[in-house]
Amino acid sequence: MNNDLVTVKKSTTVIPETNRRAELWRRIKKNKLIYLMILPGILYFLIYKYLPMYGLIIAFQDYKPYLGISGSEWVGFEHFKRLFSEPDFWMIFGNTLFLFLLQLVIFFPIPIILALMLNEVRNHAFKRTVQTIIYIPHFMSWVIIVSICYVILTLDGGVVNGILESLGFQQINFLLSDEWFRPMYILQVIWREAGWGTIIFLAAIAAVDPQLYEAARMDGANRLQQMIHITLPAIKSVIVVLLILKIGDVLELGFEHIYLLLNSSNRNVAEIFDTYVYTTGLQQGQFSYSTAVGFFKGIVGLVLVMFANWLAKKSGEEGVY
Amino acid sequence: MISTKKFLSTVCALSLGLSSLVACSNESASNTNQTAESGESDAPFKLSIMATLHTPEIPDERLEKLIEEKTNTELDIQWVPDANYIEKLNTAFATGTLPMAVSISAQELGTQFKQAIRDDQFWEIGPYLDEFENLKKLKPTIIENTKVDGKVYAIYQGRPLSRQGFIFRKDWADKLGIATPTNTEEFYEMARAFTEDDPDGNGKDDTIGLSDRSDLIYGAFKTVSSWFGTPNEWGMKDGKLMPEFMFDEYIDTLDFFRDLHENGYINKDFPVTSKKDQQAMFKNGTSGIYVGSIGDVQGLYDDAIKLNPDLEYDVQNKVEGPNGEFGIWSIPGFGSAILFPKSAIKSEEELKKALEFYDHLMTPELANLLLWGIEGEHYEVKDGAALPDASIREKLDREVRPYLSLEVGEPDTNGRYEGLAEYEIKAKAEELIKENENYLINNPVVTLDSETFTKNGERLQTIITDATYQYILGQIDKKGFDDAVKKWREQGGDKVIEEYNASYEKVNN
Repeated sequence: MNNDLVTVKKSTTVIPETNRRAELWRRIKKNKLIYLMILPGILYFLIYKYLPMYGLIIAFQDYKPYLGISGSEWVGFEHFKRLFSEPDFWMIFGNTLFLFLLQLVIFFPIPIILALMLNEVRNHAFKRTVQTIIYIPHFMSWVIIVSICYVILTLDGGVVNGILESLGFQQINFLLSDEWFRPMYILQVIWREAGWGTIIFLAAIAAVDPQLYEAARMDGANRLQQMIHITLPAIKSVIVVLLILKIGDVLELGFEHIYLLLNSSNRNVAEIFDTYVYTTGLQQGQFSYSTAVGFFKGIVGLVLVMFANWLAKKSGEEGVY
Repeated sequence: MISTKKFLSTVCALSLGLSSLVACSNESASNTNQTAESGESDAPFKLSIMATLHTPEIPDERLEKLIEEKTNTELDIQWVPDANYIEKLNTAFATGTLPMAVSISAQELGTQFKQAIRDDQFWEIGPYLDEFENLKKLKPTIIENTKVDGKVYAIYQGRPLSRQGFIFRKDWADKLGIATPTNTEEFYEMARAFTEDDPDGNGKDDTIGLSDRSDLIYGAFKTVSSWFGTPNEWGMKDGKLMPEFMFDEYIDTLDFFRDLHENGYINKDFPVTSKKDQQAMFKNGTSGIYVGSIGDVQGLYDDAIKLNPDLEYDVQNKVEGPNGEFGIWSIPGFGSAILFPKSAIKSEEELKKALEFYDHLMTPELANLLLWGIEGEHYEVKDGAALPDASIREKLDREVRPYLSLEVGEPDTNGRYEGLAEYEIKAKAEELIKENENYLINNPVVTLDSETFTKNGERLQTIITDATYQYILGQIDKKGFDDAVKKWREQGGDKVIEEYNASYEKVNN
């Protein structure tokens, strides 16, 4: 093809449309193996992430399964109107955001602190043992974790209430109370995920240049000072990226987990978008409406990610895009 | 350039391949239908069914093969666990992959599937029923309850009208000198005594009266509410249909439960207790009363005597409320019903073949096979009733029990054997279930229609269910409950009342 392309590209910033396309093809051709390797990834996203978005159309329709997407009647923003005028909308919205904030403020720092602490452990055997133990809960399903908590916390012969009673305290109805739902939720999240979350931070810490520590020690910095002035700044960018990604998961609060904890007494604090979508959509068969709710949830997530990214860039970090 | 082309064509080929895969699956689905249609008359008819699975495991195929042989059918049964049946059904419906016959519970039939039926998604089978020797024997009173807009769409699976009552620890009652309760006061006293008077005589405060579970309907609440005289979901008040929770009797029941709960006569965490845990408490001697289906006594007893050979149970149904009358709520005479989606059954001819299959299932031979298994192996016939071999319970659970959900009609109509109970209390329970039929409280809105209820009924019900639990737990007071009722009315309840009454007027005038 055009052999002079390379020079053209180097010499000008404005490339004619046809040349630019040719240039792109040339580069793809050159790195075809690399492109081939990325293909499964692209296909994955196309098939599992982009293709299903087609279904979002039903949020604007009165979807009837047998008429299909092409045959169903268009209703515009009807379902969104219904969602915003739903008496429980603000409750659900508030609950979702509150739990998200709990995740961000209480859960997020814990793996970092754990990783820093693990990093200070000098005995390798001990370190590995601790790591393994704190990873384990990650591999248990929520059903198991919630069931264990149920057995421990129930009023009908649970250990915790047994101890409280024998010490002369009032028994606490953990399972059927709206006050205890949030602490219980976040503690379960920490118990299951904190250990697993340390992996990336430990990897980032391992990549810090040991010379920095040596120099700091020469200057008389103690362990705490080394941690604050070397380790933390070194993994700061990793923390920021993970924070943004975490915010993107805003509304992924763990449907299964919350659905298992949800009951008549804590619904006012525990009902979130996911559980609402499940009950209205799958159990009551209101497909269009629940799609609209899910769509709305996605938009909130997108806005928050963009905001977090903007904030990160503003403060001089890299961001995710 | 060539390799670029190759690369492109690979991508294209891949994407084409994918779309053709999708196309293939569609095609194969329609192919099956065609073969079924055009099949020779002696070739087996292919029938796909979605059925509820009540056991932990998918059943052994032995009975299925026998049924296939006897009906000249090739069955494809999708077993879906009870717990996520509705979910699975909705998903299949949404994606257009319903099989040729689906069973839908009485409750779903009255709410979300009513609309689908109106939208002409299921075959109306009423006109064909008379052509079939056995199907035409189905009871008209129960068929009436399955109708939508006066038309018959479903073959019902019969269940006794009311199995409600309570099972209690006879040995505890005898020890404490308590007679079988016949009114709500005595019932309360029994719950108290079982909690406070150390019925197991171990000197420890480790028993409670009643164990209940997170189910206001099939658990204790609804049955006790019947004793108090609460209507079954809807009742007449000043000549108008009103929901049960607007009746004073409902509030009396709430107070009754609140007292039980406050005094610790019922398990404190019952709103989050599973059926398994509830039964475990009753079996292991933690609790002494079990309100619900009294037919459960057999299974409970079989397990419990392994833990405590001295244990004795007894059953009771008639408990009078403060007004001195006994009544018990009833189901519409069927647990679930079988419907035939038009998306899977394309022609009248196919529908008739499917109906023919169900007609076969209503012969005594096949009905017995479905319920009891193979004579001589799974059960014996004694005094004209079936006696399952108790020594092979696990085998029965694996090979026979799941097929119960394919049964059509009831013993009266399909001619199968009734069960013979060797355990006398179980026999007594069966008697009481029959006796219940004289005291039924029927749900008056089963055959009526409310569009708002069809659409929003379940969400509205959640408001009341939550408030009911909260009141019993003492988390809200009477005012809080009234607020919930007000919320129910404002969010669509008033419309439901209006629509049901209008529908009632229409039917009765």
